[in-house]
Amino acid sequence: MGTEARLTAGRYVGRPVRRREDERILRGATRYLDDIDPPDAVHVAFARSPFAHARIGGVVVPDGLEGVVAALSAADLEGRPRDLPVQGFEGGRVATEGHPVLARNEVRYAGQPVAAVLAESRALAEDAAELIEVDYEPLDPVLDAHSSDVTMTHWHRVSGDVDGVFASAAHVVRATHTLPRVAPVPMEPRGAIASYEETDDLLTVWVSAQDSHRQLAGLAAALDRPEEKIRVIVPDVGGAFGSKGPPAPETVLVAASAMATGRTVKWAEDREENMVASYQGRGMEADVELALDEDATILAVRARIRADLGGYLMPTTAIPTHTTAMLMCGVYDVQAADVEVVGRRTNKVPTGPYRGAGRPEAAYFVECTVDVAARELGMDPLELRRRNLIRHHPYRTALGWTYDSGDYARCLELAEELVQPEHHSDAERVVGTGFGMYVERAGGLFETAEAELLTGGRLLVRSGSSPHGQGHDTTFAQLAAERLGVGIEDVELRFGDSDEVPRGVGTFASRSLAMGGSAVVQAVDALKQKCEAVAGGRDMSLHEIAGAEPGLRASARFESDLVFSSGAYGAVVEIERATGRLRVLRVAAVDDAGTIVNPLLAEGQVIGGTAQGLGQCLIEQAVYDEEGNPTFASFAGYSLLTAAEMPPVTTAFVQSPSPLNPLGAKGIGEGGAIGAPGAVANAVADALGGVRVDPPFTEEKLWWALREAGS
Amino acid sequence: MRITVEINGRAYDGDVEPRTLLSDFIRHGAGLTGTKVGCEQGVCGACTVQLDGEPVRSCLTLAVQANGRALRTVEGLADGSLHPLQRAFHEAHALQCGFCTPGFLVSMDAFLREHPEAGEGELREALAGNLCRCTGYLGIVEAVEKAAREMREGR
Amino acid sequence: MKPAPFEYRAPASVEEALALLGPERTVLAGGQSLVPLLNLRLARPEVVVDLGGIAQLDYIRADAGPLRIGAMTRQAVLERSELVRRRWPLLRKAVRFVGHFQIRSRGTVGGSVAHADPAAELPVALTALGARFHLRSSAGVRVLGASEFFIGPLQTAREPDELLAEIEVPEQPEGAGSGFAEHAHTHGDFATAGAAAVVAPGRDAGIALLGAGPVPERAAAAERALAGGAEPREVAALAARDLEDEHRRALCAELARRAIEEALA
Repeated sequence: MGTEARLTAGRYVGRPVRRREDERILRGATRYLDDIDPPDAVHVAFARSPFAHARIGGVVVPDGLEGVVAALSAADLEGRPRDLPVQGFEGGRVATEGHPVLARNEVRYAGQPVAAVLAESRALAEDAAELIEVDYEPLDPVLDAHSSDVTMTHWHRVSGDVDGVFASAAHVVRATHTLPRVAPVPMEPRGAIASYEETDDLLTVWVSAQDSHRQLAGLAAALDRPEEKIRVIVPDVGGAFGSKGPPAPETVLVAASAMATGRTVKWAEDREENMVASYQGRGMEADVELALDEDATILAVRARIRADLGGYLMPTTAIPTHTTAMLMCGVYDVQAADVEVVGRRTNKVPTGPYRGAGRPEAAYFVECTVDVAARELGMDPLELRRRNLIRHHPYRTALGWTYDSGDYARCLELAEELVQPEHHSDAERVVGTGFGMYVERAGGLFETAEAELLTGGRLLVRSGSSPHGQGHDTTFAQLAAERLGVGIEDVELRFGDSDEVPRGVGTFASRSLAMGGSAVVQAVDALKQKCEAVAGGRDMSLHEIAGAEPGLRASARFESDLVFSSGAYGAVVEIERATGRLRVLRVAAVDDAGTIVNPLLAEGQVIGGTAQGLGQCLIEQAVYDEEGNPTFASFAGYSLLTAAEMPPVTTAFVQSPSPLNPLGAKGIGEGGAIGAPGAVANAVADALGGVRVDPPFTEEKLWWALREAGS
Repeated sequence: MRITVEINGRAYDGDVEPRTLLSDFIRHGAGLTGTKVGCEQGVCGACTVQLDGEPVRSCLTLAVQANGRALRTVEGLADGSLHPLQRAFHEAHALQCGFCTPGFLVSMDAFLREHPEAGEGELREALAGNLCRCTGYLGIVEAVEKAAREMREGR
Repeated sequence: MKPAPFEYRAPASVEEALALLGPERTVLAGGQSLVPLLNLRLARPEVVVDLGGIAQLDYIRADAGPLRIGAMTRQAVLERSELVRRRWPLLRKAVRFVGHFQIRSRGTVGGSVAHADPAAELPVALTALGARFHLRSSAGVRVLGASEFFIGPLQTAREPDELLAEIEVPEQPEGAGSGFAEHAHTHGDFATAGAAAVVAPGRDAGIALLGAGPVPERAAAAERALAGGAEPREVAALAARDLEDEHRRALCAELARRAIEEALA
């Protein structure tokens, strides 16, 4: 609804400024966790469960292992550290039992850490870990949510007379959809280094993480230690996609063992560990029903969602299930809703937030069902959408959330125009087009920033947000420079060291620009006021003001309700009849993330997210075999898209500014992963004449589906 | 075993075991951490270096196999000013977290020197030897095409 | 993942290498298949015998008719060979699908053949070409055809005290055409299915499927049909007919059809 931004484009804001971060990366001068080599460090390797489910009788560490400084099992930890805490959600039930640091008398997934070896090198630690004898009594594993009888999370909301509406509706459409588990696979695996200084009683932990705050809070809780006695430093981070939020059990073990041994302890996760033990994404299926009246108005939605949560609730395992449920009305003006989500325990690695973290699931379940409805009603899927889109904001959904702003109709219109729909069928191939819309929750809670005027008139900003590829150093500098009226080269940003930055919330849920950026702007505004007070009406440069009053600083804590980004994706796909091979011919990505501060970086986020969404559609799936063994322990069993497979992606931004922050910004980090899968699934169904298949859309599945479609 | 490896024109000595991987020698023995390790299986390409001019996976090479030989790593790409690939990656926003970037730069420097006339299809196939989880590759394709043009025109 | 400890030997000649072979001893050629197994600790030899220093195993020649490839010839060298491109183009077509160019810098022809992965490109191309494999031991040399050499997935007839020293490929008739096709999840990934075909002007053919069975095999019935004048589609269907899974049969037949049509073009 209008595209004027409250923060008007200027010298820097709204411009495709190239990144300041790049040069040291390009020259190889970065320092990711494993690049840090404390000379006296001991290295950790874990003995991990080979069984999906087993009782543990005992753990025996042989004596005299070469180069081994210590070997620890749960018995050696004696109840400290505590199990990882579990974050719940409002309005539902979440079990409280958390993930143990090292397994005590039970393991619930293959790859679960059972014992840790600290040795003079990683190789020696792995040698020793192999020799640890664990008395396992294997138990039958439960490998899907249906077969499980242990519920770990539950949320159910009913609004309106849903049963009544369904009973009297002209049309009821039902469909079941599944999004299987995928692995986050950041190019840099996880890792942590801990060092304990006894004289100061200070624990310092370097960790490859999305932010220092959650690591700090999690370590303080697990180690039962005051936060002031822990310093967390986040170095360069090679991607996370949600998988490096709260501390991993391994990180807690590293910290605890540093304190116990007095040595600096380093854990650099390898790819095999990362594939099996890092929490996974998706793993949900839903039965979705839509009640529609004679003129195709969607009257109500009913959904029963089942989540395969794995063996334990990790700190944030429960969150995506709630996020999915809350968004099940989608972008549609639906008056009544009945949505229930149940999370069940299975003998797999836990799930947790992975790019989109519940929003891709909601968008997928809703958008696939809308297309099913269109087909059953004999309507154009775009027309069905247009009839039901929310057209006035702010809009309060039947499930109780308020979408702040948006222009869903414009997004859909643009997506249709940009994707250039195509439908075709001949002896060799079929071509189909599909669309998927989304609305997603971003921002929320609070974020912090401090702005300081340095000698010489340069600006130092300390931010509670923490980058791991998003380019905050550049976008925040754009905001600060513009706000204070200095050159971008005169702005320095600090992130990631709990001693250096104000306590904040962190980087996840596409919140950094809306929350972190707003905090930066408010801190700079406050600093500007102080500068003006010092100048007292005189015409003084910042250099002079800094000289007159050294150490001028201001801080801000910006708080806000959730903002809601949205968008529409279109995809054109081709299926080769002879083999079932799927090619995505082109994608149109239209996102509304409010004000776009740096269109170059925003587009990078969209394309990167789209690649992950396409990965889920084309080739990614974390498969456990019948015994619960991971088949994806290496890249031989889990493929990622390469440059050779990426289709052209045309992007566009609709900018409906959010009224909830001074930037008018929302979040763009996850839109690609949220919007693309529904569009591709609908395009595949279109090509198949309405036959619906779950992702990944393998050659085998599509070949059989084409046969079914032909019959 | 004692080995000597020349890296970016300088000699590095070290004591290694037969099982020591070249990637670990470069990073922890020689202290050149620009080369990254992403999988230790030869798939992700983050560890790619040039061994006597040929692009190889340092994670699949034993350190002892590099004894007496010459390597070039990402730290050796710029001769003061940035290599055309480095400049093009920056311009085209072909990097986000940056972890995969050294592997791409070293790989494509080698590839473009051998195939200066490669078209988009060949370039994309060559790029398939390096994985990126952040960018979605389109910026990388643009950057490599741009750098290829510049390198053909003689920097 | 770091390998389990092992000892390392780098012989300078074939004779020296042969003296080092035996049980618990693994040969290291290019390392692109072995080192991942070492890193995952799926292979745990006591001694690794590195053939990389044996210059006498690194050659491509065709002086007396057949193509002779030394086992330690790097895949990249095969790819760049003008001789191979002109006279045995199927090998060049196949090798370009082996992993990625960085893998081919180190991977060797002999290593790929001796590893005998059913999804590997060189074994199936060499099988289609009627190649013979020279195994050397201190007792002498024996030469095996593909059907005797490849005996199972990741299994060959090579004894632990033998080295694959050379791959010999018969001369191709003037005007022979070749084709290679494969499918993989992503470019450079392990092939899920594929086909190699070489067709002489008189329609004498060598056709072999990749990933269709435990070893690469000549599709004899299909070859006879092609020689008898059958259309590529029919020939391809014959080549794939023993596959039980319907989709795999369709996939392999389609890839075989493409390879055959390319060879006939």
